[in-house]
Amino acid sequence: MSYYLGLVQLIGIHTLLGLSAYVLMLTGQLSLGQAGFFAIGAYSAGILTVIFELPILPALLAAAAIASFFAFLVGFPALRVKGLMLVVATIAFSEFVRLFFFNLSWRVPRGDIEVGPDSTNGFREIRFFVANGWSAWEITAFVWIFVILVMAALWWTDRSRAGAVLRAVGEDELAAQSVGINLTAVKVTAMTAGGFIAGIGGALYAHTATYVDHLTFTVLLATFAIAYPILGGLSSVFGTLVAVIFIQGVLVEGLRFLGDWRNIVFGLLIIAAMNLKPSGLFDARTAQVLKRAVGLGGKD
Amino acid sequence: MGDFWFEFVEITQTIGDGLLFGATYALIGIGFTLIFGAMGKLNMTYAAASLAGAYVGLAAFTLVNASALVVFLVSALASGLVGFIVYVACFRFIPIDNHLAALMASIGALFFIDEIIVHATDGSPLTFPAMFDDVMLELGSYGIRGDLLFVFAVCIAGTFGLLYVLYRSRLGLATRAVSQQDVAARLCGIDVHRTNAVTFVLAGLLGGIAGSMTAAAVGVLSPLITVPLTIKGLIVTVIGGLGSIPGAIAAGLLVGGLENVFLYFRGVNERDMYVLLLLFVFLIFRPHGIFGSAIDRD
Amino acid sequence: MSAVRLSTTALASMAVAALIAFAQPVSAADERTVKIAGWGAKSGPLRSFGVNSEAVLKAAVQSINDSGGVKLGDGTVAQMEFTYYDSACNADQAISVARKVESQTEALIGIGPTCSGAAAAMYGIFQKTVDDESDTGLQFPILTDTAIRPGLAKKSQWTFRNVPNEITMYDELFAWLRAQYPDAKTIYGGTETDQAHSKLTFAIVIVPMAKKHGFEWVGGGIEGVTGKVREGYENVLEVSKSSNWLMADTNFSVQARAFKKSGADMMIVSSHPFTTCGMLKEMKRQRIKPKVLVGLTSSSSAETLKGCSAAAEGMYIPTGFAPITDAAAKVAAAAEANGGSADLHSAAAWENAHIIKQVIESTGIMAKPETLNDDRRKIRDGLETLVKVDGLMGDIGRVQDEGESVKPYVFVQADSGTWKVVHDPR
Repeated sequence: MSYYLGLVQLIGIHTLLGLSAYVLMLTGQLSLGQAGFFAIGAYSAGILTVIFELPILPALLAAAAIASFFAFLVGFPALRVKGLMLVVATIAFSEFVRLFFFNLSWRVPRGDIEVGPDSTNGFREIRFFVANGWSAWEITAFVWIFVILVMAALWWTDRSRAGAVLRAVGEDELAAQSVGINLTAVKVTAMTAGGFIAGIGGALYAHTATYVDHLTFTVLLATFAIAYPILGGLSSVFGTLVAVIFIQGVLVEGLRFLGDWRNIVFGLLIIAAMNLKPSGLFDARTAQVLKRAVGLGGKD
Repeated sequence: MGDFWFEFVEITQTIGDGLLFGATYALIGIGFTLIFGAMGKLNMTYAAASLAGAYVGLAAFTLVNASALVVFLVSALASGLVGFIVYVACFRFIPIDNHLAALMASIGALFFIDEIIVHATDGSPLTFPAMFDDVMLELGSYGIRGDLLFVFAVCIAGTFGLLYVLYRSRLGLATRAVSQQDVAARLCGIDVHRTNAVTFVLAGLLGGIAGSMTAAAVGVLSPLITVPLTIKGLIVTVIGGLGSIPGAIAAGLLVGGLENVFLYFRGVNERDMYVLLLLFVFLIFRPHGIFGSAIDRD
Repeated sequence: MSAVRLSTTALASMAVAALIAFAQPVSAADERTVKIAGWGAKSGPLRSFGVNSEAVLKAAVQSINDSGGVKLGDGTVAQMEFTYYDSACNADQAISVARKVESQTEALIGIGPTCSGAAAAMYGIFQKTVDDESDTGLQFPILTDTAIRPGLAKKSQWTFRNVPNEITMYDELFAWLRAQYPDAKTIYGGTETDQAHSKLTFAIVIVPMAKKHGFEWVGGGIEGVTGKVREGYENVLEVSKSSNWLMADTNFSVQARAFKKSGADMMIVSSHPFTTCGMLKEMKRQRIKPKVLVGLTSSSSAETLKGCSAAAEGMYIPTGFAPITDAAAKVAAAAEANGGSADLHSAAAWENAHIIKQVIESTGIMAKPETLNDDRRKIRDGLETLVKVDGLMGDIGRVQDEGESVKPYVFVQADSGTWKVVHDPR
């Protein structure tokens, strides 16, 4: 069972990572820097529970706040660049963060050992959950409380005027501006929210994995962050969840029986999915089909 | 005085080495910029496809013991072919205004190509043939690597070849027309798909040269370098200004040279942070790149 | 329209197919077998680790079964069976496979995950201290091969490693080099700093051990480096900051020039095969010829010879495996037949399979589904009490509280495309 629960935890964490990119994509900003915020969340939370011996909840919230603060700061210069420029700028930001943690050594004595981030050797012993007797069920529930809260908040935002504003900016900035939408406020808010969500994800990740090092937060992870919303489609938050299940559940874990071929098939399936369903696996059409199937949707 | 002179030679030599090596970054940057200029899209597969070309060239070397020159040629052709396949698989059939899907598909292709290489070689580093690698030109206190000089010359020749095609042939005219105004180009009877495919092949040929030159300059080839090369290529593209070929060349050389300077003065752990800071400086003060000629589109 | 519908169906059916395969229950075996699980990097740039480890493990299990199998607690003789998983040198996947093997299979013990970074993460989810009820970490024994970064196995009492002990190896290597090259005085070197193993070994083992045997860093030594392990290691990294490199670097001109400028008698290249080759080739171009060239133990593999046998000529490396005994030569041949290569990393997989057989036979394992947890615990306890076992090159001892091994070793030198054993201190 612990295997499936571990997988469910990972899916939850990656959903948060994907949603942090999803928020930005709604406003038309493509960021390959979410791994950077995720790293800030992971290291901050780890430092708070390991070095400052805080309980998990305040550590997690503080870590998310720290990540969102940095996202807020990144948000302003990011306004100046669009499209590919933003992609490269955010890659650069996230690589910068990674190199910062690659150089960070902050060790404090604890009993007969030293704990804390140790540059290349990574940050071990982030064992708050297991050391405090949390069962796999409890950890899974804890992770998913945040996933559900974030999904619900985003779902609700999407249905409200705020969601319309975000999407308006994403569709056409000029038009949005001309109807009086403050671009700076919208984009920076989206960036900050994305940083907050990625920060929570990172904090949870560090504690479920018990270990992080700079190689955890490469561009590859940032690529996954944008892969989820793109693959899932931007029509709703469920797209991202579907895509995480597709990638982590099916492609990574489910295809394990393919052995050597798994990773080759992985790339091919992504290419196939994008060619067959360019607006995402969970696009408006699929959502409609599903709604009808469970007897919820009308005929439109 | 003696010390000063010694230090001066050290530093200029360091910059010189970096500049020569930077030629390979410039080629990768040109490839990104070319495809971006033509389609306004990001082809994440590009650096991996370039190295894939180099691997095919290497296969020619191992299987039929081809000479270094043939290896480079085969690399370029193979990478051109990969460029075409990537275009068909990741761009041709995805709606032209869907940037995200094309980007994602090209990321899928990056994973795919990487894993094919890894499976074919078990990820083991392999010897790559070089030309003039036993030549070291001694100019007073300076030493210039013969093989890097050759790499530099090939990169320059490749760039001029590309510029010739772009500005002196009908094909190039079509490519430039599509990159400037694809609707107008279509109205003039230009087949956009064909032109885009040609752009991918051209960029691929150049990438194959870049890939084989990188491999030749190191002397070994490994799938480890695909992602770092992708990142470096993107940085060069942005510093040079999106869509600007002269910009990509200047930026490639600049990054190559400065990276060595950062290494020399600040050490390897901080080197890449300074390269990134350089990028931030450009993004803030010169967002249109070195020559300020970037295309303003997203 | 139909294309879209079709594609949805196609993707959905692929997903379903994968899920079915993935949710398949473990079938209870009719006859008793001893199941073990291996995992490692079989995708990604470090694929050779997994390929080699699997090839050697396969050969080992084959040899155990051919010579009769494993004797269980009630006298039954059972065959050994192994499954190998790909965990891609990735922390999440290594953890995921560990959980899968622990909860979804009847494997008695795991051998994985080959990569040090993945091991460092994976060990963290295991129970730290046996019988500590408040610790909900995994309770499943692990006997790792390949992952060599110093000091990992002590993270949990469930985790054990069989990898070369670099401190002893380099201590002896420099003692031997001292005798071979009495007039060599100075050293200089570099390492790949983004890989914990190469960097740590360079700074806390190699440079201090060289100092211990009278090889002084160029320019009067490094402050704080006394010849004791770990002492002054920050300063080692500081003085070498411009002669170091990163794992995916392609340009080594600055580093090589620093090597050249140093004019040291002995030069150290502490990195994995790809950059070792890049650096050695650059040294050759710059015509740098030190009296002695020493490499990281991880470079004593077939990869280095594939990448740059000419440039590596003459390099000394201490290693925990060389096909010098009959048993070792047999393993090297068997690994090759299975499409891999036995080297200092993977050869341990052979020893591990045999260690497991020995522990099973001495602790009376039953290998029945209902005794699974007991059996796993007994194997752990059996590993804990092991003092000495037969290895391919001689006796393997262990560091009792840490779960780490102490293995025999030899010194090899690159000689016309092969690793030639130049000294055998056994």
